[in-house]
Amino acid sequence: MIPAIPAIAFILLLAAAALQAIRLFRPGGKGDPVSVWLLAAAALLLFGFSLQRSFEIGFAALTSTFESLVFYAAVVALVVALYRFQRRIPFSPFVAFASTFFAAALLAVASSPLLPKDALPPIPALNSSWLALHVAFSFIGEAFFVVSFASSLAFLFSGDADRRLALDRVTYAAIAVGYPIFTAGALVFGAIWAERAWGHWWSWDPKETWALVTWLVYTAYLHVRLVMKRKDALASAIAVVGFVCTVFTFFGVNYLLPGLHSYG
Amino acid sequence: MNSFWRFLKSVRLAIGLIIALASFSTLATLIPQGLDAERYFQLYPRIVALLVTETGLSHYFSSLLFLFPAFAFFFNLSACTVSRLARELRKKGPRRHGPDILHVGLLVLVVGSLVSYSERKEGAVSLKVGDGVELPGGETLTLKSFTDVRYDDGRPKDWISVVDIAKEGKILVADRGIRVNTPLRRPGLTLYQATYGSEPTVRLIGPDGVTHRLARGETYEEGGVSVFFMTIEESGSVLLRVSNSDEVIRLTADGAGLAAGSGAGVDAGPWRATLSAEAVTGLQAVVDPGYKFVLAGLILVALGTAVTFARKIKETV
Repeated sequence: MIPAIPAIAFILLLAAAALQAIRLFRPGGKGDPVSVWLLAAAALLLFGFSLQRSFEIGFAALTSTFESLVFYAAVVALVVALYRFQRRIPFSPFVAFASTFFAAALLAVASSPLLPKDALPPIPALNSSWLALHVAFSFIGEAFFVVSFASSLAFLFSGDADRRLALDRVTYAAIAVGYPIFTAGALVFGAIWAERAWGHWWSWDPKETWALVTWLVYTAYLHVRLVMKRKDALASAIAVVGFVCTVFTFFGVNYLLPGLHSYG
Repeated sequence: MNSFWRFLKSVRLAIGLIIALASFSTLATLIPQGLDAERYFQLYPRIVALLVTETGLSHYFSSLLFLFPAFAFFFNLSACTVSRLARELRKKGPRRHGPDILHVGLLVLVVGSLVSYSERKEGAVSLKVGDGVELPGGETLTLKSFTDVRYDDGRPKDWISVVDIAKEGKILVADRGIRVNTPLRRPGLTLYQATYGSEPTVRLIGPDGVTHRLARGETYEEGGVSVFFMTIEESGSVLLRVSNSDEVIRLTADGAGLAAGSGAGVDAGPWRATLSAEAVTGLQAVVDPGYKFVLAGLILVALGTAVTFARKIKETV
């Protein structure tokens, strides 16, 4: 059973998604005034839960799949709230709705009875600040990729040229912010941690390989978008593929492929 | 020549190579790597098994299928880096070196990987408290203690090997703990806490009450009589041979059992031989001259992406 605080955050996210869904059918493209506060409250609750759990186990609460999902959902909720607050890039109600729904889905997965939820301090291999940085930065980067996925998906299903241009800006902005953070987390901090823990900075473990594939796909996106100046369906399709890779890296590799990362 | 250079530094080539590397790498994670060829024919239909074994997907990361696009990407990136850097340096206005830092970082990373791949060596050693091992450069590492720390629920919390390192009788490193995630770095060599366990050890107690320890393969000799620790059987019993007898002595883990020590023991020459289990730490020694380049490359990549996109976001979003 999921603990009370993530359960309350889950309800807040569902309520926010419901309010955003209503706005999808109204013309004007403006967000509702309430869901942003529900998102902020959900993020606050989830970060508070992670912090409280971290004090309880004496280490950053990022060492189990449950803890990772809670943190990931918290960052996605925060990023969507910030996206709603900011004024520099176009606001899309669909992007906000889809990203909020994804955050709620993460908590739904976290509530699975198959995932252990005991607050346990880390085993020796996971007891490293580099591990905490590796996981935290990877999920922060991926939270921005959630927004880019929603906007690129909306782009691919939109026929309106102006709307497509606006969505392309959202996709690009989200990837431009998420990519350096993901690079630092997944590749740089991950390699440093692996070297300190096992003496191998890279071992072609399935999760490492999929993280590299994800990075390569987003690298391809940025070259297509920035160097080839493509703002069309190709760039959006690559952004969608990139996000599918992040999802498989987290869930698919954990449950379908064996490797060093089988614990989280 | 010009058209070849343009092709070599083109973004289209880079994208094509990235797609090839990403696609084949993805495929490689779905296929078990490094099995015998016959195993693939047992796992997959004949045509798939042929494809896997003949294309190199069975050992993808050391096959041409990976190495060719990886090297082509390296040359593409080198050409692109040189071309871009020259263009930036010719500029009169403000220059943007973020992508250059990122690209140089990737090149350094690839060079470091190659050095690592070709020069990396590793070895493992199992030590009991008091044991020593020679390190390169004439240093000797001695295990002073090993602690297996557990949480209240029995899960492992920490494994700590405390060691001294000495050279020509002079202690260079005293009481240094090697733990998982806290390796001991010596010039040209890094020592990692890798494994732990226990090993049956024979204690020979002499008539004078003095005890001598004997590990597998070792011989203890005194007064013209020697005891040789032959082997450990699957049951955990050990076999000893005493020099003044043709008989092989079997020492079983009786009584309280091996882990708790002793049992009654048996006579082995002038000694009373008992069996006990001693904690053993497994240290892994790694020599990786490529890692410093890899680390430099990683730092440049992180710095390059941060500089590039901090500026891009400011300008274009």
